[in-house]
Amino acid sequence: MADEVVLDARGLVKDYRRDRAVDGISLVVHAGERVALLGPNGAGKTTTLLMILGVVSPDEGAVSICGFDLAHQRSRAAECVGFAAGYLPLTERMRVREYLRLYAQLYGIAEPNPLIEAGLERFRIADLAGAMGTELSSGQRTLIGIVRATLHRPRLLVLDEPTASLDPDVARRVREGLLDLCDRDGTALLMTSHDMSDVVEVCERVVFLSHGHIVADGDPDTVAAAYGRGDLAGVFLHLAERHEPTGAQQSDHP
Amino acid sequence: MTNPPIAPTISPDAMTARAKSWLRMRAIARRHAYVLVRSPHRLFDVSLWPLVDVLLFGSLAAFVGTSGSTPAAKASGYLLAGIVLWHVIYQSQIAMSTGLLEETWTRNLLNLMVTPLREVEYLGGVALFGMIKLVIGVGVMVIGAFAFFSFHTWSLGVGLIPIAVVLLVVGWAISLFVMGLVLRFGTGAEALAWGVMFVLLPLSGVFYPTKALPTVMQPVALALPTTHAFTALRSLVDRHGTDWTQVSIAAIGSLVMLGLSMWFLVAMLRAFRKRGYITRYT
Repeated sequence: MADEVVLDARGLVKDYRRDRAVDGISLVVHAGERVALLGPNGAGKTTTLLMILGVVSPDEGAVSICGFDLAHQRSRAAECVGFAAGYLPLTERMRVREYLRLYAQLYGIAEPNPLIEAGLERFRIADLAGAMGTELSSGQRTLIGIVRATLHRPRLLVLDEPTASLDPDVARRVREGLLDLCDRDGTALLMTSHDMSDVVEVCERVVFLSHGHIVADGDPDTVAAAYGRGDLAGVFLHLAERHEPTGAQQSDHP
Repeated sequence: MTNPPIAPTISPDAMTARAKSWLRMRAIARRHAYVLVRSPHRLFDVSLWPLVDVLLFGSLAAFVGTSGSTPAAKASGYLLAGIVLWHVIYQSQIAMSTGLLEETWTRNLLNLMVTPLREVEYLGGVALFGMIKLVIGVGVMVIGAFAFFSFHTWSLGVGLIPIAVVLLVVGWAISLFVMGLVLRFGTGAEALAWGVMFVLLPLSGVFYPTKALPTVMQPVALALPTTHAFTALRSLVDRHGTDWTQVSIAAIGSLVMLGLSMWFLVAMLRAFRKRGYITRYT
């Protein structure tokens, strides 16, 4: 199962009006693999994720998820993916249980109650089932968003800044829940984060982006060593400096 | 420490594609039902506003009808029948358009777009919910017209049904067009969700024959399927029976309108994905 490719993105290019956001990114993720997509603001992380999710269409390149071509079988591909982002709100005017039921049904689950109970229990928030979305803190909303994204046991879980603005305790619960999910279900994880301690704890592979290119790809220690830094934070800062307009002429590569 | 992997219990093939589509449509309809029930001001759309309209136009009809002349009696019937049937377009259009607008107002669009939900399933879901709103809203009008003005809408006969269906299709067509504009131009285009109706209202001869319009506007009016639908309605009010010629023209026109709106929406959705407009709502 570990050799099974769940995400195969080839030669992704995306131009926006003023610049090229993504410039030829290729990324393959296998079942059970935990991958962090890292880089400074504007490196192309979110655009890459949105293309992988089928919400933004690439100008060049193709994405295949669990063998389904995203351009032609988006709905089937989306059944294999879960997505959550720290910045996304919950659907308004719904209780948590109703909200989770709605999304479970969008994923084709007719009787989702046992999965909702299990999902809330995994992140130790079963007591929130009856709460309205507007009554929740931002950390609780993030947790509910992750439960929603994992209800259908996706083959690939995509998370954009899952622990942003979370307190340390909730962030720890998120990390533990994600590791449990990946271990138990063999779910592959692709996440972005600016918190390098999260990345080190959760991910076994890091992919650094800069100026829309992949500039490093490997396990955290190897990537840090290649840049002559002691840890990922050092690599991040190095790339962030290069990302400034004044540093644009310097190489992003090790 | 690592637990052995377990097979996912959720198989994409566990339900037929048709069953999944129906499940998704019902889920979307239920989501909007929660919005309606839990936002009292939204209930005005299906209760207070229809009642206000029936009171306004009913009172006007009662006043006009007091003169006792035949044209006045006709005008009185046109006003009440016109406003009741106008709400078929209004309710179906507003329910669908505000369905999408609700997702943009609450930044919920990305949440939906990453799911397996197909565009047609989303439209089916909001249309299904719109039908429920339509039945409630028009039901309030029919009851109000009967209770306050002794106007028996159902006495116009079964000929009302094809006219209502045509107007329903026109309402959907307008909403698809508005949705396309919202996807392309953002929520700034939302004023059209309401505004476009008020362009159509006078041109369609909802309350009067289109020959009452300024001469220069009459060809425009004739090109609208709604004009023919309301002409057929006046035939019913005048007790001349169903004017199948006008109903047929209206039906063909409404289908053409629906086809053009669908084409426009698909083109705008393609532009939405191509230009990355989702970032407006994240």
